Amino acid sequence: MENYVYIALFAPLVSSLFAALFAQKPKIQLVGIVTSVLIIVSLLASLTLLLHIEETGKAVSVTLMDWIQAGDMDIKFGFTVDQVTAVMMSVVTLVSSVVHVYSNYYMESDRSFNRFFSYLSAFVFSMMILVMSDNFLGLFIGWEGVGVCSWLLIGFWYDKKDVTRDINPSISPSWAANEAFIMNRIADLGMLVGIFMIYWNLGTLKYSEVFAHLDTLSHGMLVGIGIALFIGAMGKSAQFPLHTWLADAMEGPTPVSALIHAATMVTAGVYLVIRANPLYSQIPEVGYFIAVLGTFVAIFAASMALVNRDLKRVIAYSTLSQLGYMFAAAGLGAYWVALFHLAAHAFFKALLFVGAGNVMHAMHDELDMFKMGGLKKQMKWTFLYMGVASLALSGIYPFAGFFSKDTILEAAFNEHTYGIWFVLWFTAGLTAFYSFRQVFMVFFGDERYHELGVHPHEAKPYALWAMAPLAVLALIFGFFKEDFVEFVTKFLPAYEMSEHTEHMVWILTIVTTAIALTGIIIAYFKYSKGLKRNLEFEKKNKVYNLLINQYYIPILYEKTFSKPYKELSEIAWKEIDMEIVDAGVDGIAKAVKVMGDESRKMQNGNLSSYLKWMVAGFIIVTVVSLLTVVIK
Amino acid sequence: MSNILTLLIFFPLIAAIFGFFVNKNSIRVYGIAVSAAEFLLSLWLWKSYDSAQAGFQFVEKMPLIPDFGISYYLGVDGISLFIVIMATLMTMIGIIALSVKDGLKNLIITLLFLEVAMVGVFVSLDVILFYVFWEFSLVPMLYIIGAWGGSKRVYAAIKFFIYTFAGSLVMLVGILYLAYLYYTTTGVWSFSLTDWYALLLPMTVQKYLFWAFFLGFAIKVPMFPFHTWLPYAHGQAPTVGSVILAAVLLKMGSYGFVRFSLPLFPDASVAYITPVAVIAIIMIIYTAMVAYAQKDMKQVIAYSSISHMGVIIIGTFAMNAEGISGSIFQMLSHGIVSGALFMLVGVIYDRRHTKLMSEFGGLAKVMPTYATIFVIMTMASVGLPLTIGFIGEYLSLAGFFKVSPLMTVIAGTSIIVGAVYMLSLVKKSFFGPVTNPENEKLKDLDSKELWALIPLVAIVVWLGIYPKPVLGPINNSTKALVQLMHNKAQTPEAKKIILVSKKAKEAK
Repeated sequence: MENYVYIALFAPLVSSLFAALFAQKPKIQLVGIVTSVLIIVSLLASLTLLLHIEETGKAVSVTLMDWIQAGDMDIKFGFTVDQVTAVMMSVVTLVSSVVHVYSNYYMESDRSFNRFFSYLSAFVFSMMILVMSDNFLGLFIGWEGVGVCSWLLIGFWYDKKDVTRDINPSISPSWAANEAFIMNRIADLGMLVGIFMIYWNLGTLKYSEVFAHLDTLSHGMLVGIGIALFIGAMGKSAQFPLHTWLADAMEGPTPVSALIHAATMVTAGVYLVIRANPLYSQIPEVGYFIAVLGTFVAIFAASMALVNRDLKRVIAYSTLSQLGYMFAAAGLGAYWVALFHLAAHAFFKALLFVGAGNVMHAMHDELDMFKMGGLKKQMKWTFLYMGVASLALSGIYPFAGFFSKDTILEAAFNEHTYGIWFVLWFTAGLTAFYSFRQVFMVFFGDERYHELGVHPHEAKPYALWAMAPLAVLALIFGFFKEDFVEFVTKFLPAYEMSEHTEHMVWILTIVTTAIALTGIIIAYFKYSKGLKRNLEFEKKNKVYNLLINQYYIPILYEKTFSKPYKELSEIAWKEIDMEIVDAGVDGIAKAVKVMGDESRKMQNGNLSSYLKWMVAGFIIVTVVSLLTVVIK
Repeated sequence: MSNILTLLIFFPLIAAIFGFFVNKNSIRVYGIAVSAAEFLLSLWLWKSYDSAQAGFQFVEKMPLIPDFGISYYLGVDGISLFIVIMATLMTMIGIIALSVKDGLKNLIITLLFLEVAMVGVFVSLDVILFYVFWEFSLVPMLYIIGAWGGSKRVYAAIKFFIYTFAGSLVMLVGILYLAYLYYTTTGVWSFSLTDWYALLLPMTVQKYLFWAFFLGFAIKVPMFPFHTWLPYAHGQAPTVGSVILAAVLLKMGSYGFVRFSLPLFPDASVAYITPVAVIAIIMIIYTAMVAYAQKDMKQVIAYSSISHMGVIIIGTFAMNAEGISGSIFQMLSHGIVSGALFMLVGVIYDRRHTKLMSEFGGLAKVMPTYATIFVIMTMASVGLPLTIGFIGEYLSLAGFFKVSPLMTVIAGTSIIVGAVYMLSLVKKSFFGPVTNPENEKLKDLDSKELWALIPLVAIVVWLGIYPKPVLGPINNSTKALVQLMHNKAQTPEAKKIILVSKKAKEAK
């Protein structure tokens, strides 16, 4: 079995390096095929491991080699595949495989086809390190690795220039890439501090040893570690207030958005909380905070999705919102529920994004939904796929989202945190509304795209086939809930609903489905017949403007952080470094020179002036010596 | 071979003198051959070095002025070994990448003299010998900046010389006073560092001496507010000068802290952790901001050097093996990475004769290989795991966390502010459309430049993934150093803060 661990881990690396060999060459179709095959190999190895662990119930661990040894710190490249890891690996490689195959279609006419695949596979490799490592520093390698790959891929079309838009100060792929990287780094500092705390208190960073000795730590220390690690999670999973990068990350190619910014990387934070469940279950107050923040992000992000016109940004906000759901579940201690939603979400959200990719291709990269409409006719399959994904996202029976989201709501109800339950419940309605607003605006109503002069076309058959696994999973994954629970609760704590909740389940389900359906129906009446814009409303309405401008947060960040930092930097350089520090040094040098120049005048060759100096010197010496005598 | 250290010092010296008689046309080959031989010699040193031993090896001792206890005393341990190798490596690579046409012969000879001084500083165990090499290193650098530099080269060269020289003089006073103390305590004169290590100094004396040495080292590092000579020196120096200045000469200061300040004045070092750390934090954040404000590519790298040196200082004053090993590793990592970055800036300067970022934009499209290597070095510079830059930064911060969590968090912003100025540099120069028509036809890296840069890329990745061959010996010697400091410590505070590794304790 150990070999499968290595295959699953290193096949993506081989894939990335292979593609990198041709990075500067024009498109080679073989690169796309070979990388896709290697990722599928990794998928098969992951599935084999999943089945193996299912059979034996035991984790597979391997240690590759030493990494950092200094003082008492001893860190190895160690990997362990347990139930949680196996699920993560399978989800990651499955979505990656689909996206790799799909990218052959999506990127077919891109100048840097080969380079794209190199980055994409490198991302998969980093993600595998992240989920497979058996220690916190190994996780951190993957953590930073996915960050860099995300930077490379958001900025993939690096040669586009900065464009000023009304919503964002100035944005381009390279700008968005830097924003994402730097914002993640802020969070990574928190994570690093958490790692330091663990090391100095427990002397190790290995999960198994750390979690076995948590009881030796004071409660305050546990809280500190829990908060520090969660700050790290907030960056990767784009939780408020570090959320702005995710929407801007949509500047990257759409397959990237599907893989990195929907299905896998952004769920790393949730994975971290699930992984550290022995820690978080001992500090319920931090858990509660996580749940509240998650709930807030769920409704906060959903509200922005309600009005956005940008096809990809709507999905990005919806991702943000769903991450909030996952954190709500994890924070409340329902770890397997969070993991279940993570997996289900990965499938249907990736499907939704890839579908959006088809639409973008058909529309020649136009993203404004106000300029689409009626695409159902030309793009039957894409419509079907996106419909399935939206139904799953809205939580309609029998789609995957129904099972996973309902369980989160049940858990919130079960914990008697009715506030959280209510907000999440309401957000379910918003989710259904904006999802179907999108579906109706893109695929139904009047064909507004004629003005652009584009002739929409369906994606190539193999691209559509590549999407099929995700569609199937979005459809049937929910029915595996029982198996899933049985499998992962061998590792994660079981979360049982109380009897009271069991009684209420039917009512809860009906209530939740009702609000979801309401959302869909409202969207149907408002958008399926065609777009009726109310320009007066768009201009004047305060709430609408608040939402379309993302609560003015990007502008606020620009004004309170980016700009002052830049100005302060200028001051530090020009005013302080040059005018004070350096001028001080030169001042000392000049003072010495002036003193020399001045004292040189004494030596003017005039005997009488020499005598005057002598007398002056004599007087000074006498006075000084007299004074010292008197003082003594 | 027992005289390998002598050979390492004198081979470039003799080769430099011999170089005067070499024909102008073959001087490049000669320079590469000599520096390559010297580099191989240093690799041989590494091969013969016994990693399991923590103490000084290849020790040579020969009295020079016996009446004053001055001797020709050499030796290396894990702390100095790799800095020596880095010095020979960067000299070789600097010579390979030379694009200077005028006075090439003199430049190469000067570089070989500089190599003598650099190797000498790091292998000297006699303090007078150390001081001689320390000061001698200024002379070739003065020439390199003053003769081959930019338009304000004379100002920059003199500023560099006088500033660092002034600091060293204060250190010299400290050295002489310490020797006198040794004489009054033991009755014999000695300038051997290992003899001095045995000296137990009263706290009041330690405090004065600490600051005397501090001034010498701090100007060299350079630490805030003594850093302003550096941007001028880098701004005016030719590429090879900047490479060696950043890679090796700055390390003399940080090496001095590890070799002298910590073991000689352990109590004072512990007592002054806070002021030193505050200066280091100012270096990290303030110079990172100054770097962000720069318009000139080379100045960004120059100021980033100061910021990274701040992390090294933080690690040194962690007073535990984690932090000190990390700081020494970070010295190597910074040497390789900033050396490579300066070389990369030199590449574009050779083509465009400007270093202003506003002149560029979209270079990634025109020079893809160049951009790739630049991005790899950028990632190493911002401390990405699995590159060389991560390990030192991580260990330095981790080590200091034990001393002060709060200050570590503030110093840790290094990973954020470092990303800000480096990524903004990359964006301004490499991304976006090609706006300046002069950039449209730029040549990508040629074979000479690739020969210089690819080995550095290889080292960045290799030591990022498998640092053990280097970190192991460093760690061994560091543990012994910490043990020595702990044994010598007199104040209860120092006993508590100087943290001996558990593994070192168990081994006893």
